[in-house]
Amino acid sequence: MTGRWRAAGLAAAIVAGVGSIAMLAAGANPIDGFAQLFGGALGDVDELAETLVQTTALLFPALGVAIAFRAGLFNIGAEGQLVMGGLAAGSIGAVLTLPGYVSIPLLLMAGALAGGGWGAFAGFLRARFAANEVITTLMLNVVATLFASYLVGGPLKSPAATASETAILPHASWLPELVRDTRLTLALPIALLVALGLRYLLDRTVFGYELRAVGEAPEAARRAGIAPGRIAIAALGLSGAIAGMGGATIVLGILHRFNVALSPGYGFIAIAVALVGNCDPIAIVAAAFAFGILQNGALAMQAGAGVPRDIVAVVEGLVIFVLAGRQYLTRTVAR
Amino acid sequence: MHALVGENGAGKSTLANVAFGGLHPDAGTIERTGTIGLVHQHFELAERLRVWENVLLGREPCRFWTIDREQAHARVRELATRHGLEVDPDAAVETLPVAVRQRVELLRELERDPTVLLLDEPTATLAPAETEALFTTLTQLAERGIAILIITHKLADVVRFTQRVTVMRAGRIVARMETAQTTLDEIAHAMVGGDLPQVAARTATTPAPYLSFQDLEVRSGEIVGIAGVEGNGQTALFDAIAQIVPDAGIIPQDRQREALVLGWSIADNVALGRQRTRYRRGIVFDRKTARSDAISIIERFDVRPRSVDAPIGTLSGGNQQKIVVGRALEGRPRFVLAYQPTRGIDIGAAAIVQSRLIEARNAGCAILLISFDLDEIFVLADRIAVMYSGRLGPLFPRDSIDRARIGALMTGAT
Repeated sequence: MTGRWRAAGLAAAIVAGVGSIAMLAAGANPIDGFAQLFGGALGDVDELAETLVQTTALLFPALGVAIAFRAGLFNIGAEGQLVMGGLAAGSIGAVLTLPGYVSIPLLLMAGALAGGGWGAFAGFLRARFAANEVITTLMLNVVATLFASYLVGGPLKSPAATASETAILPHASWLPELVRDTRLTLALPIALLVALGLRYLLDRTVFGYELRAVGEAPEAARRAGIAPGRIAIAALGLSGAIAGMGGATIVLGILHRFNVALSPGYGFIAIAVALVGNCDPIAIVAAAFAFGILQNGALAMQAGAGVPRDIVAVVEGLVIFVLAGRQYLTRTVAR
Repeated sequence: MHALVGENGAGKSTLANVAFGGLHPDAGTIERTGTIGLVHQHFELAERLRVWENVLLGREPCRFWTIDREQAHARVRELATRHGLEVDPDAAVETLPVAVRQRVELLRELERDPTVLLLDEPTATLAPAETEALFTTLTQLAERGIAILIITHKLADVVRFTQRVTVMRAGRIVARMETAQTTLDEIAHAMVGGDLPQVAARTATTPAPYLSFQDLEVRSGEIVGIAGVEGNGQTALFDAIAQIVPDAGIIPQDRQREALVLGWSIADNVALGRQRTRYRRGIVFDRKTARSDAISIIERFDVRPRSVDAPIGTLSGGNQQKIVVGRALEGRPRFVLAYQPTRGIDIGAAAIVQSRLIEARNAGCAILLISFDLDEIFVLADRIAVMYSGRLGPLFPRDSIDRARIGALMTGAT
């Protein structure tokens, strides 16, 4: 058995061991709990589809966070960029009556532009005033959420709606389902295409070359004539655009309207997804799937096996913990 | 005083670290009596702390739970006077010049009363006069019974100041000699394990004005050397000239930080700097051209390993530098700006780098060389100027000035 497999075994043992103790302490049956976790996430087509819905929702912002990371920038504003993208898609989509093959690309672009502008603004602040992007992107999250909730609470609120949300989008603008009667839509293949595109951008284009140079060796990049400010704006802009497009796919594919509660924190979990995926677009797809299983299976664990919500969070935390520490685990078992 | 000499990568620093206890030996034993003090090649000082805080770090005199500053000052002053190493105990280390920082590091080790004092390349960044002063101090320490082990490249210092020499090559000790009974050539032969590599000969050129910047004039077909001690404004000069001549071939001072992306392949590093011109096809990065250029640099400079895909961080310093210099000379630039092009690389790699620079000069390239190493200045330069305290002195043809005069100008003599 190679070290990698032994490390995976050790990781599984840690999650199963500590997770079981936590479940036992809370009076739940651990075998039942874990069976529900995997059964609920992968058990049949409907459940797998819902897992892929969660995967998709995490994939967009995670790819966005990763592209910023590769430029040496810490974008913790994916959540706000996602909200801005959703807001643009929802508010424009509510009044747009065009055939789907026109309106859907248009609305996805609108989401990308809104999220991209939100990200590029943080990049501009960094380039122009040397403002730390960790602070600015974090703060812009709050601005985005409050701005959106003001708009859908007042000016953009649908007269028909009881909650703070826009009117429902015309049917033509809904993303087509991939599996009948599930929430899995064309958003998944779009996200996969974005991942492939990013891989190409990073590995094959001059822009990707310059972006990685700034991220890995800023001083050498500067001497090579690469303007770090320009890269910061472009990287955070692109980062926000991908997150914003993700927000638009949630509006177009799942909610069919914009609602301030469109994200239960996808933009934050995405940071962990990007890191677990080593900021490599293809590895992030796998990482997002793992997190998708967790997101979806956790619900089943809570509902089906009576595991309290807090213990579900413990198990989720354990999985993230061993994923993040996998290099350390691999080194440890290699000795 | 005992010298440990050898080319880069021969294992000197590793041996020193094993002896000091910083590294664990894979096999074998270390026998030592007493304690060892180590003065690092790159000083390990807390820049933001004051001199006395650095010297006493971890051994501060305490009064209850506070540091007894008076006693601390007294201790550092007494130590400095006893060893003739003048420093201001209250100065912040970050404000001090290199030579003084070295004194601080030396004092910190002496404070621990070592029986053996180990110095790794202590003269690498010192002016001739400062080197002289350091060796005077070390000789006094040796006379007081402290064993001094000095790791160095500079064989002239070895011959002048030490009593015994140990030569290492490829991780093994290949010679032990009494300094009095050997010669510089003999030591060099033992280090390289054969004849010394020859540097390319310079041919006659017809220099024509190429660049003129204030009083500095660099002509095509010549190498102008700027001598000086580190920290006298060379970095500002380098940056200013790099700004004026954007298409110059650039060899920055710190190859790992300023010239290379260590995680990248040799080929991708070769493209850095011209990624928008030579290595661009539309929006696509032209890796194919980068690879073929990398292959030709690997050939011309004898880079090991001979693989364009090897991550450059896994190469030795000498081989990394060959790539940096090869990239700067690629495409026959009309002007090359070189900052310490052979810093910290072994004799063989340095000879290759210097040969390629001289060949570029022979072919009509104008080269501006900034170096702290007088030997290198005299090997490469056609004309020499000295930089001191931010000012650039007049240019002297190499044959019209001797090393002693240049050495004096480097320390501010007029």
